[in-house]
Formats: sequence, structure tokens, C-alpha cells
Amino acid sequence: MSRLPALVSLLVVAGVLAVLPFLLSAYNVSLVAQVGIFFIGVLGLNILTGYTGQISIGHGAFMAIGGYTTAVLSRDHNTNLVVTMLAAFALCFVFGVLVGLPALRFSGVYLALVTFALAVSVPQLPLKWSKFLGGRDGVQTSRTVSHVWLYGVAWAASAILFVLAWLILRGRVGRAFRAVRDSEIAAVASGVELPVYKTLAFGISAAYAGVAGSLFVLATNGFAAPDEFSIVLSLQLLVGAAVAGLGSLWGILAGAAFVGLLPSVSTSVPVIGSDHGRDVVFGAAVILVMLLLPGGFAGLLARIRRLARA
Amino acid sequence: MATAESSPRPTFRSRGTDVGSFPVVVVLLVAAAAFLLVGSLRSVTFAQLTVQGLALGAVYGSLALALVLVYRATRVINFAQGELAMATTYIAWQLVQWGLSYWEAFFATLGIAFVLGLVLEIVLIRPVLHRSEIAAVIVTVGLFILVDGVVNWLWGGGFKSLPPPFGTKIYHVGGVAIARLYVGMIVVVLVSVVLVWVLFRFTKLGLGMRAAAIRPAEAALVGVRVDRMLAIGWGLATVLGAVAGLMAAPSQYILDPTLMQPILVYAFAAAVLGGLESPAGAVVGGLIIGVTLNLIVQYVPAITSELQLPFAFAVLIVVLLIKPSGLFGHREVRRV
Amino acid sequence: MAFNRRKLGAVFGALLVTAVVAGAAGASPQGTPGVTKKQIVIGGTFPYSGPAALYKTIPVAEQAYYAYLNAKGGVFHRQIKDITVDDQYDPSQTGPATTKLVEQDHVFAIVGSLGTAPILATWNYLNQRHIPQVLVATGDAYWGNCVHHKCQGSTKPWTLGWQPDYPGEAKIYAHYILGHNSKAKIGVLYQNDAYGKNYLGGLKSGLGSNANQIVDAESYSLGDSAQVIAAHVVKLRAAGADTFAIFATPTATIQALVARTLIGWSPDTYVNNVSSNRLFELAAGKNGASLNGIISSTYTASPTVQPNLPGMKLAVAIIHKYAPALDQSLAAGDGNIIYGLASAWTFADALKHAGQNLTRAGLMHALRNMKETNNPFIYPGMTVQTSKKRTFPMEQLKLIKWSGGAGGDWHAFGKIYSGVH
Repeated sequence: MSRLPALVSLLVVAGVLAVLPFLLSAYNVSLVAQVGIFFIGVLGLNILTGYTGQISIGHGAFMAIGGYTTAVLSRDHNTNLVVTMLAAFALCFVFGVLVGLPALRFSGVYLALVTFALAVSVPQLPLKWSKFLGGRDGVQTSRTVSHVWLYGVAWAASAILFVLAWLILRGRVGRAFRAVRDSEIAAVASGVELPVYKTLAFGISAAYAGVAGSLFVLATNGFAAPDEFSIVLSLQLLVGAAVAGLGSLWGILAGAAFVGLLPSVSTSVPVIGSDHGRDVVFGAAVILVMLLLPGGFAGLLARIRRLARA
Repeated sequence: MATAESSPRPTFRSRGTDVGSFPVVVVLLVAAAAFLLVGSLRSVTFAQLTVQGLALGAVYGSLALALVLVYRATRVINFAQGELAMATTYIAWQLVQWGLSYWEAFFATLGIAFVLGLVLEIVLIRPVLHRSEIAAVIVTVGLFILVDGVVNWLWGGGFKSLPPPFGTKIYHVGGVAIARLYVGMIVVVLVSVVLVWVLFRFTKLGLGMRAAAIRPAEAALVGVRVDRMLAIGWGLATVLGAVAGLMAAPSQYILDPTLMQPILVYAFAAAVLGGLESPAGAVVGGLIIGVTLNLIVQYVPAITSELQLPFAFAVLIVVLLIKPSGLFGHREVRRV
Repeated sequence: MAFNRRKLGAVFGALLVTAVVAGAAGASPQGTPGVTKKQIVIGGTFPYSGPAALYKTIPVAEQAYYAYLNAKGGVFHRQIKDITVDDQYDPSQTGPATTKLVEQDHVFAIVGSLGTAPILATWNYLNQRHIPQVLVATGDAYWGNCVHHKCQGSTKPWTLGWQPDYPGEAKIYAHYILGHNSKAKIGVLYQNDAYGKNYLGGLKSGLGSNANQIVDAESYSLGDSAQVIAAHVVKLRAAGADTFAIFATPTATIQALVARTLIGWSPDTYVNNVSSNRLFELAAGKNGASLNGIISSTYTASPTVQPNLPGMKLAVAIIHKYAPALDQSLAAGDGNIIYGLASAWTFADALKHAGQNLTRAGLMHALRNMKETNNPFIYPGMTVQTSKKRTFPMEQLKLIKWSGGAGGDWHAFGKIYSGVH
């Protein structure tokens, strides 16, 4: 693929995002900020699932760790919120690597099981250590942020992390990731150190989820509580990654927008009514995407491009 | 989604157990049973907890069995298995509202569940099965969310409960109170396991299903309708899930759309403990997890009830690291 | 690429701040948000689905009451429009849902939202913007205590509860236990969060120097299975308790009541108000729990025991006309419906007192200076009352005792306890 169109789309996205806050109401700005948050999460999961072929149904767990990092640091030390995001990135990288280590031993459905169990286990920990982590009544940051702050920081972080991902994936590391995905045995045969790259992929994607979690808590008025990180959050990330497909900025944007906007859009679903539309639409959409658009949104774009060329 | 490296199908064995470790496992299980027995004789509290744990373990076991059947048939872990089971409890509730007794509703629901499973396999799973296991897993994840949404939409909220299936009688055995409900739960689950076993071992259908699962190409050559067998496998699994749900709901006394979510995690742990391929292993695994959780929360001060789910997570990790084939599974041949 | 993007971001960021400041200054509305000549728009978040969906009947009853009121002409000819959103009891959904209600639907106030964590996730946001967050459906002590004291960095004068707070309720049980059986050995089952600990703390402070009579306190987690709950009950009996206090949400309470009978234990048993909805006890009874003599407390009238009260007749009529799906529940004694009606009645009453010229500050003033002696849905003789010093609207309780077995009911006894908190 030639470089130019990619660069153009990047510029278009950046331009639109920069202008949007002037056009939208404060509330809609907060919605687009939500999309930015899921952009980071989906991007991170895409590195693991899409590029390295390791499934994770548990990235909500890392969002929880990132979110609590921000909440606790802010509560106890009044730490600058952007600094807490960096801390969340670092801490989740470490946790990601730790989870990646045992994950070396299993793949496929086993990995799905383990990460699922991880996702339901982590939110139990604040209940156990409730003095430090607030129990069910949560942890409140010492300061809260405006929609515009959230928008700016979420999309600035998205941009930085997107470039970072691009730098990682285009080079040697990216080639190794793809080799692991396509065939572990072949990868080892061609000299890829499997343990290193698998754990690295876990670490990176967990770190991304951590930043997303940090922003997620800030979007909840700086309030972190166990119920926010239910299994459904992890499922949403996976859904976002599936909708996104592989290797396309537009795809990830679509996936993030799908996950970030659906809850607010679906409150006005006809027939089902305002109260339960969300999950019905969510579930049905995922299944339809998987059945009709195997490559996700990215695959759809590629197909259109091919059609246009033909 | 990209294609994940697909795990190799296990080699065909006439016996479902890893012969090498089988005696060790049996000895361990006998030792565990002896421990429970001695403990129960010495302490009424211990006995009480064991009985309750077994009843709950039966529920985990039957959901684990459903997972195993799906896995054997299609190499997919059905993450929606718990939610499907939950949905069937609401179907049963609706039937009871329409005037059926619990047991009429029970069997009618099993029938509905079978059809539901069949249809799901044909409509949702089959189209993605050839693609990758990640694709199939994501479809079941979508199904998880969809079923949850639909149940909440149709029946959610407010207060609902099923009538007690076994009445409220209590047996007293040497100071230990055993609800007939618990006995009934264990019996129902054991009966369904035996039926599954009989089906697989002694019927032509069962033989066909085993062949379709283990060696699809060869099975097709000898005239087995592989597609049909896989769909039936899903139907049966959904029935077993329904059994789990219909036993779990009355044992928790109220209907709740989140009923099966923790149970699913314990069932995962149970299925992996049993070997993910072994129906008997799934049930034994379920009983072990049920009893262990009930005892450990009581007797190990560090593990409070908040840590039950993390405990199940730990079981998963430890089993997979130490003995990935579980107590009763094949040893999977996989070299990297 | 990255540099361009970031530079752009910085420039636009600066522009943004200007735009928003300008926007905020320019956008300040003439009238009160959500209030027109013909309409008052309010909103609330409720668990229509998820782990707390049991409480779904509360918002439905509230909406039924507003519909009834609207048919009678509304308040000062304004119709009340109540927009409720399902937050699944998940604070991360309460946040955006509340933002939407405030910034998109421009509600006048957030009324009746349910659950402690959901309220905690939104009270900073609402208090910063001086938006009333009132009659919240949770009995934590925060809502009363944080009016004058700083909580999470600031006072929360725009947040107001309604029901009696949990510690106060537990104190009443403590007094009753000591008067009833001064040598009681008390076993407590409580939920492992602020809700449960509030109750346990209230019980201890009510027992005072006799707090050592609590022989064991077992905590459980929301979502624990019936078997785990039963295990705790077994342990409490083993600890020698002859009095059993259940400070638990409905599901766990039902499970504890069944377990108590199952193991053949018959201590004096106390159930917190949260779980004293008759439907829950009926479910426990149906599954074999023996219920006679269990004690709890109430602040609402009973549709089943006091059906001839004008308020209960009104309740039946309103529900039948505006929420017929709840007819059956109400007939069975679903106290949450009465709770919803009573709370909506208080809100409408406050609107009347706030006057024709409705403002948010005016509403808060009315709510902080209430003296409702005629709320038809609360227990006869009780008053919903607030003042500068009195920050819990409902501070009265009446003890109730179950009789009549599995199909029985709660019957009030003794005096009305006042000053509960």
C-alpha cells in the first residue's frame, strides 16, 4: 500500500477532530471524548489480538488497574492527572507482562478462558482491600475534569499512542508479532524469541488499556468503583477490536465509535424502548459484523478499495 | 479478525483418559473423598458445608459439562453458555406463569433449549467455524451480550422466582440438615450425566457425534452427517446448560439476570480442571470446585468471599500451568 | 506526523478553552433549565437491568404518580416529565447518563436516582453545577452528613436523601434487642461495603457498652451464592448466637432466612428495612423459611395490612390506571411501589412549596424546609421533615413483626421511633 493515502487519512482525521469541539455541544464533545478513550483501548487490543494473534477477553481488568491507579494517586497524593496516566501506562505494562508470562503456555481458547477469569477477578480486589481501594463505594480523584479537557487529553493521548503503535508495528518488533500470529512454529524456526515477543505484546496492549482505564475513570467524574469494570467492559473492547478489523486507522475509529457511542445512541432505539436497547443492539451488531464483515470495518474498506480499483 | 494459530485436534483414542496419570488421579480423588468423609464425621459444620458445596458443585458441573460438549463438538468455548442457561430459567418462569407446574415447565424448557442450541449452531456458529477460533469466540461473546439484553428487555427487573422443584422438606442425618432440594439437584445432574454418557456410548447417534467431533473427514466418508452432528452437539449442550440454570435458579430462590455469570467462571474452572474434553471430568471438577469454595471460605481466613472468583482464576492458571490436560483429559500434543 | 498533530492539538486546545469560556458565558439561559410555562423536566438513573434490577418498580411507580398528577393538572399548570435512564447500577454508566440528562435533556433536577455508588459518582458533577440531586434512593449517611461537612473535598448541599439512614435504623434494633433480651448473644450477617458497615456500626453504637454481646459478625459479598450465605449462617450458629441480625440486600436476606430454617436454627431474627418488602419474605417462606416472629422496621404504610387507608386506596387506583403491570406486585405487598409513590409525592409537594417562580435554589430551599404531615403513602403519624439542622427528611421508624407463616405479613407494633440517625 502506498504511504500517501495513509498520511492523508491521518491528516483528515486529525483535522476533523481538531475542529469538532467548535461545532459540537458540550455534551457531544463528551461523547466524542468517550470515543477517544475506546480508541486507545481498541488500538491496544488490536496490537495483541490482531497483530500477534493472542486473544484477550480480559482487557477490562487492565482498564480497572489503570483507572484505580489514577484515582488512588489523585486521592492520596493529588498527583497531576496526566502523570497518573503515565503511571497507569507503566503499571499496566508490568501487569500485562506478568499475565503474558503464564499465557506463554497456552493459546487460543485457553487464553480466552484465563483472560475472562482475570476480567471477573480483578474487580473483586477493591472489595477485598477496601481500606486502600475504597470497596464498593469507590475512590474519588481529588479533582475532576471538564469535557473539553477530557476531549483534548483523550485525543492527544490517542494520537501519541497511535504513532507509537505505528512505530512499533512497522519495524522488527511488528514483523516478529506477525510471525507469531501466522505460525508460532515458523516464527521460532526463523529466530523469533517467542516468549519475549508474546509477553511484550501483552505488556504493550495492557499499557494502552491502562491509559484508557485512567481516562475512563476521569470520564466518570473521577470516580472508580468495581461495578464500572464488569465483564461487559472487557467484552466491549473485544467487540470494538472485532468491528475495527486489522491495520486500519479508519477501522479502529469505527470500532471505537461503535463502542463509545452506542450506549448513548441506543437509548432511543425504537420498539425495544429506552431502557434495554443497548445490549440488544450491541450483541446483534457484533454477531452481524462477524458474520457479514469477517475483516471488520478495515476489511470492508479494503474490499471497497479493491472494487473501486477493478 | 486475524486467524489465530489453531490448536491441533487431539489424536483419536478409544479411551477418553490419559492412561499414564489415571491411577494417580483416582488415588487423589479417593483421598479427597476420604478427607471429606472424616471431616464430616468429626464436625457437623464441616458436614453441612460439604453437602451445600456438593449441591452447588452439581450446578457448576452441569454447566461445565455443557461447555465440554460444545468444545468437543466444535472446538469453541461458548462464552454465552451461562447466559443461555439464564435465559432458559426465564423461559421456564414464563411457562410457570402460563400455568405449567415446575416440572412441566422444566421439560418443556429443555425442549426449547435443544431447538435453541441447534438453531444457534446453524445460524451463528457454522458460518464462522472454518474461519478461526477467535472469530467463533467473538460470536459467542456477542451472543452473551445479546441474550443478556433480550432477557432484560422481555423479563428484566422486578421480583421473580420459580417454585421450589423439590418442595421444602429437610432430612436430618446425625445433626446435619440436608434439604431435599440439594439431594434433588445432585440427582438431576448425575442423571443427566449418565444419560449423556449412555447416548455417546451406546447409541448410533452418539457414535456419529463422537466421530464427527474427533475425525470429521473420515466420519463424513462413512456417511455421518457431520454438520448435523455438530448442531445436535450444541443442542444437547444448551439442554445441559438449561439443567444447570433450572437447578441453580431455585437453589438461589430468586431469578436474576446476573445469576449465571459467576457460575460460568466456576464452570470454566471445573471444565479445565476436568480436562475440557472429558464429560466425567467436568462433573467431578464441578463438585471439587463447589466443595472447595464452600470449605475454603469458611476455614481459610485469608480467603474471604470476595476472593472466590480470584480463587477460580487461580485454579485455572495453576491447572493449565501444571497439568494442561486436567484430571481426565488427553495430553495435547503441541510443540513450539 | 506526531509533532504536527501535537502542535495542532496545543493550538486548538488553547482555542478550545477560549471558545468554551465564551460559550459558557453566552449560553447562560434566561429561565431555569427544564422549566417552561407548561412543563418541568426531571430525570433520574435507575437499575432497570443488572444486579439491582429488583428495584425497577420504584421508578415505574414514581412515573405513575407524576402521570396521575399531570392528569389532575400538574403543579402550577406545569406537567412533570420524568426521564429515567437505565444505568444497570454501574457508576460508569450513571456518569454519562447523568451528563446526558443535564446537558442534552436539560433537566431541572435529578430526582430519585438509585444506589450509593451511582450517587457518589455523580454528586461532585451535580453539586459543582448547582443542580439538585434529590430524594436519592439510598439510605447511606452521606446524604445527610455532607450537607454541612466536607465530603470528598467539598460540602454537598445540592444532594438530599429521603429514607431513614442505615445506622439510625440499626440503633433502633440495638435498643429493642437490649430491652427484649438483655443477655442476647448477637450474630450479624452484613454486606462487605459501606451499606453493611453502616448498619454494623449503628448496631454497635446502639449497643454501647454492650457491644461485646456481638459474638460474631460475618461479611458476605454481593452476588455470593445461597450456599455461601448458608455457610455464614452455619458459622454464626456455631459461634453461639441466639439473636441474628441480617443486614443484607434482598437476595442474600432471603437466602439467609431459608438457611436459618434449613439448619434448624431459631434465634430472634432482625431483617433490615431494605429487605422487608413483603415479596421477599413470601419468597423465603415459599422456599421453606419459617418467618414468624422476625422483626424489621418500616416508614411506609402497608398496602396489604392497611388497605383501607386513603393513601393505600389511592396507591391501588394510581397503579391500576397508570402502571397496571404492577397491579399484581402491589396486591402482593411490594413496598417498593409505595416507596416510589411516597418519594414522588414529596417531590411534588416540594414543587408546590417552591412556588410558581420555580428555580433550582427555590426547590432546594423548599426541600430543606419541609414539614409534610400529610404524605398519604408513609406510615400514619409520621412526618417528612427537614430544616437547617435536620438533613435527613425521614427520621422515623416503626418496628414490624412477621406473623401468619409462609403466607403471612408484617404487623406494626410498639411506638414510633423518632430522631433516627
